[in-house]
Order: sequence, then C-alpha cells, then structure tokens
Amino acid sequence: MKNRLKVLRAERDWTQADLAEKLEVSRQTINAIEKGKYDPSLPLAFKVARLFEMPIEAIFEDETELTMS
Amino acid sequence: MKIIEAICAKGLPKRDLKNANRVNLLALFWVLTLMISTFLSENELLNSGLLITLAFCIHTLIGIAMLVSYRHFLVQLDEMERKVQLDALALSVGVAIISFSSYSILENSAIVPPLNAAYLIVLIALTYIVGIIKGRISYR
Repeated sequence: MKNRLKVLRAERDWTQADLAEKLEVSRQTINAIEKGKYDPSLPLAFKVARLFEMPIEAIFEDETELTMS
Repeated sequence: MKIIEAICAKGLPKRDLKNANRVNLLALFWVLTLMISTFLSENELLNSGLLITLAFCIHTLIGIAMLVSYRHFLVQLDEMERKVQLDALALSVGVAIISFSSYSILENSAIVPPLNAAYLIVLIALTYIVGIIKGRISYR
C-alpha cells in the first residue's frame, strides 16, 4: 500500500529508528511499510494517524479504491 | 549479507529477542531430554516404571513450557515479524502434511521403509527455518 510515511517522518527530522521507537515496532517494520512491502494492521495504522495527528486516509492510499474508480 | 541479517533477526526490539532466547533455551532443553531418554532406553538404563514416568513427565513438561513460551513470544512480537513467523509455521505444517501423505502412498506400496517420526520433526524444523529466513528477506 502506498503511503506518505517517509515524507511525514522526514518533515519531523525523525529517523526510521525514532519512528519505530514511538510506534513500538522494529525499524524493519517501518522500512517495509515505507517501501510498501508490508501493510500495517489497523491498530498500527491508527497509532500512526494519532502520532501524526492526521486521518488515516491522509497517510495511507487505498489502492483498491483507485483501481475501482 | 541479507541472509546473515535474516538469521540473526537483526533489528528486533530487545523484548522480542529476550522472549526468543527463552524459547530457544527451552527448545534446547526439550531436545536434550529427548536425546538423554533415547540414549538411556537404548542402553537399557531406563528399566523401571518410575524412571520411564519421570523421563516422560520431564520431557512433556518442558515441551509444554516451550509451547507456552512460544505463544507468549508471538503475542508480544513485532507485528511484521509475527506475520513472518505465522507464514513460516503455515509453510512447515503444509509441507509436513503433503510429504507425509505422499510418503504413505510409497510406504503402503512397500517401496520405501516405514516413516520414522524423527524425520518428520526434522522436516518441519528445516521448513520452518527456511520460511523464517525467506520471510525476513522478502520484507527487507
């Protein structure tokens, strides 16, 4: 799933390790999400949204919606 | 390099590594109790009901402790690593079932000797290890 995680993280000058620590996941998980290799669970997506104070859909792109439209 | 990192579970939180080490230690004890019991049986040193019961209980209890510890490890695990673990488990169970059923056809036809349960355990373990490494590499 495409997302803006890398951009949002860079805007705050956070490393992947910093973000991983804030979200209580491994740095590999952050790396895989940023590359679109791994889709986060709903609880983790909500956690990300709360951290960046943005709605989920502003961070993660629903590709199925794009293909349907 | 990627394979080494995948084997070493590089980047996992300390909590997960601590839990994994506990599971590994219990797995080691479990294998050791099985080896010792087998050695004693083969040398006819496990000759009383009390000793057999003791060996059975120790091995079973360590096995249960290992399972409980593994479950605790999975529950607390980083969510992507948990997916890797569950995918590897699914792969090992699938391979074991298919291999066992295919082998049983050959066994019934007397083409091959009866299946040794130890081979099945080794197959499950090896497939699980391959699944873990493959999963970790695919997400890096």
